[in-house]
Amino acid sequence: MQLVTLSTIVGWLTYSALLSLMALGVTLLYRTTKIANFAHASFVTVGAYVTYTLTITLSPNPYVGVPVAFVLVGVIALLLFYAVLEPMRRRNSSTVMLMIATLSFDIIMLGVMNIHADYLTNVYVLPSRNVLLSGSDFKFMGEPGLLFVALGTLALCSAALYLLLNFTTLGIALRASMENSSLSEAIGINVSMMLAVSWFIAGGLAGIAGALIPLWTLINPNVGTLLLASMFCVSIVGGLEQTYGAVLGGFLLGLVDVVGTSVLASLVGPWVAFYEPVIPLLVLSATLIIAPRGLAGLRVRRGK
Amino acid sequence: MGNLLQVKDVKRSFGSLRALDGVTLNVDEKTVTILIGPNGSGKTTLINVITGLQKPDEGHIYYVSTEITGWSPQQIYRTGIARTFQIPSMFGKLTVLENLLVAEKNHPGESFTKSLVKRLWAKHERDAVEKASRILQLLGLFEQSNMPASLVSGGQMKLVEIGRALMSDAKLYLLDEPVSGVNPTLAHEIFARIIGLREQYGITFFIVEHRLDIALQYVDYVNAMVSGRLIAAGPPEQVINDAKVIEAYLGA
Amino acid sequence: MTPLDQVILFVVDLLALLAVYLIINIGLNIQEGITGIPNFGIVLAVAGGAYITGGLSTRLAVSLLRVQTNLDPIFNNIAVLHLVNPILRSQPPTAIAMLVLFLIIGSLAGALMGLISSAPAVRLREDYLAITLLAFGEILNVIGIGYKPLIGGPIGVNLPDIFGWAGQYRFYVGTFVLLLVAAAIFAYAGYLIKTPFGRTLKAIRDSEIVARSLGKDITRYRTTSILLGSLLCGTAGSLWVLYSGAVTPTYARFDWTFLPWLMILLGGIGSNRGALVGTVVFVALNKLIVYYKYAFVGILPFDIVWLNYLLLGIITILILIYRPEGIVREKVTAPKLNLSAANKEIQSS
Repeated sequence: MQLVTLSTIVGWLTYSALLSLMALGVTLLYRTTKIANFAHASFVTVGAYVTYTLTITLSPNPYVGVPVAFVLVGVIALLLFYAVLEPMRRRNSSTVMLMIATLSFDIIMLGVMNIHADYLTNVYVLPSRNVLLSGSDFKFMGEPGLLFVALGTLALCSAALYLLLNFTTLGIALRASMENSSLSEAIGINVSMMLAVSWFIAGGLAGIAGALIPLWTLINPNVGTLLLASMFCVSIVGGLEQTYGAVLGGFLLGLVDVVGTSVLASLVGPWVAFYEPVIPLLVLSATLIIAPRGLAGLRVRRGK
Repeated sequence: MGNLLQVKDVKRSFGSLRALDGVTLNVDEKTVTILIGPNGSGKTTLINVITGLQKPDEGHIYYVSTEITGWSPQQIYRTGIARTFQIPSMFGKLTVLENLLVAEKNHPGESFTKSLVKRLWAKHERDAVEKASRILQLLGLFEQSNMPASLVSGGQMKLVEIGRALMSDAKLYLLDEPVSGVNPTLAHEIFARIIGLREQYGITFFIVEHRLDIALQYVDYVNAMVSGRLIAAGPPEQVINDAKVIEAYLGA
Repeated sequence: MTPLDQVILFVVDLLALLAVYLIINIGLNIQEGITGIPNFGIVLAVAGGAYITGGLSTRLAVSLLRVQTNLDPIFNNIAVLHLVNPILRSQPPTAIAMLVLFLIIGSLAGALMGLISSAPAVRLREDYLAITLLAFGEILNVIGIGYKPLIGGPIGVNLPDIFGWAGQYRFYVGTFVLLLVAAAIFAYAGYLIKTPFGRTLKAIRDSEIVARSLGKDITRYRTTSILLGSLLCGTAGSLWVLYSGAVTPTYARFDWTFLPWLMILLGGIGSNRGALVGTVVFVALNKLIVYYKYAFVGILPFDIVWLNYLLLGIITILILIYRPEGIVREKVTAPKLNLSAANKEIQSS
């Protein structure tokens, strides 16, 4: 009996690539702004609906949404930063308050996305919930094109991020403000702008991931919300001190999740699939208990 | 009278910085000792290591012949050693009185289950409040008892620090610059009270202090530290006139 | 129903919702306001209380009332309740005893959920705790929908008619019980703050390092706080399903995590009276908005409930920016020294 099929592997790689793209943003924001961004859920959802809306109204090519989503969600992230977080930062709000702010923004966007979906259905008479675009995907070597696009995009974005952070003035300034924001401020780095850049990038990455989702699973206005717990799990498991931990975490979690569920289902029965959302939490708990440092290594308490 | 605290050859580094480079000193019971030294000589690190906030890389620490090296801060506190911080940290939203009450040891009301039955802790609480108010009187903080601690002045915060330490009924007090930022009259008064406590309750004090003009007349012993090492220890007149000490203070 | 009846029913329903939310908000306030633990996953405890009460109540009623049947309490829920309810309706004391039993079970379920979600993270920094608690909050819905034997899957099940003996006054009695429990919990919360235990929780919130150097076992205090807060959330979830008579696996983050945070923020984090004020203001306002939203149906091409999301999200952000301390500031509840009396005593000694 073959427990692990080719399609399981394809599923694992695809899911992991998407998760990694999302978690890269989560980790980046955590390192710069020191908070967990609840609004990442809606960043992803917006990306998903950009693709979907474009595909059913304008262009049949489902990948057209990717660059559009990158820019749009990046801008939305900037909106959250400048309209909400910056004013709060200037008033010295605590991290908890900032997190509630991102949660509130997420709620607003959830409302907006639902209104958008209702609009599509009621005004344009188009389906907007429980919709799936995988049928529009191309095939390459017998496998869904999404596999290659997702992996390729992840590789491209990781490389771009790496180049940015290590070889550009902007990137080095960004890293400096991650390490020590007050010192960076003192030597003339515009920390506020650095933060804005990180929000744009994180939002853009989430937008890209979101834009690819309709090709993989059916979407609803809560698609991002359902994935939020997994995104956070991936970030923590990967280790929050290193931005690339997100990629490690993504592939590990994807492995346990997709391959693990598939194997269990073959062994025990298909009902196991219902409990798949529990898996990220189990992995998260195990990580926090056994190795709170995450895969990339992390000091849990700053200073001793 | 015997040795209360023994520090033997304690070393502690932070990366390449050798904060403590083999410190050995003894503190006798019922004495008042001050520790002097230029900034960066390792005084606060020594206190941190003794009280368990940091672990020594090498060396041993003994309290009344029990080895306490590597113990946690909670354990050390329970053993009867109390400390204050150089930069006072308040429980900001609690009142000055409450700040002291939290320091009370073994309060039955602090256990969740016992807190449910008021009768089990009411008396202890009354006694603690009485003790705290006496300490606040002693420190001149009585008027501020009901103020949120975040609203008192910097000098007053130092006094709250000391008050918290005094609540613990400890036998050994490690005070880190207890009167910096406090006006000289009050500083003298505090030192006088410290001597009084030593006389009355047999408490031992080990104090990091810069203000020799005030402190010197009250102390039994002076220890001097430079670059993570003890360079002199003994009665005040002896140490003050020690060549190495003069050089350390007047030199670089 | 006369218009007066309608109004009364509206008020009664409002009060019931108020009571449930007040309990949850106090539970959240104990964790965040008093101990400084940002629990973004209280939905887990609320849902835990709701699901366990919903799932077990029929089963327990069958065995405790010695009802003879081979039917499954979950899958043949309606039929089984057909046998159980007449007994409860005719024996008020038994019904009340069952109510208490179900409440206890629901509360313990809530506490258990709190324990499970806090265990991995209670030693860690507060933002780790926040993320972990949020992640765990999402989990129970999944189990509720997937594991049919728990509450019958997506459709849910009904509960035994605990208030049925009151006949047409069922909802009044129900609301009264809810308000009673809420009042008791509110009173307890006020007492808690005045105890040394409560004081230590606040100290840990204000400065963990100093609390640790004073010998306090931080992990134990935090765990106790989460357990207590989660227990209360479980109580609320349990009360709600007992009052409504049914349970479905739709415990959304919006209703049971975001809204409680908004309410305690509105009222003023850290203050119990603030929790009360925030709950009252919000529930009343929200009910009115919902009531009048029907005026907009048909005008806008989308479901009005989403406007609610927009409005509340924006309001929360405005509060966070312009008045983060909320309406009621944290009250000083310390034992106060009577300065003049004490002065006299000192002078005479």
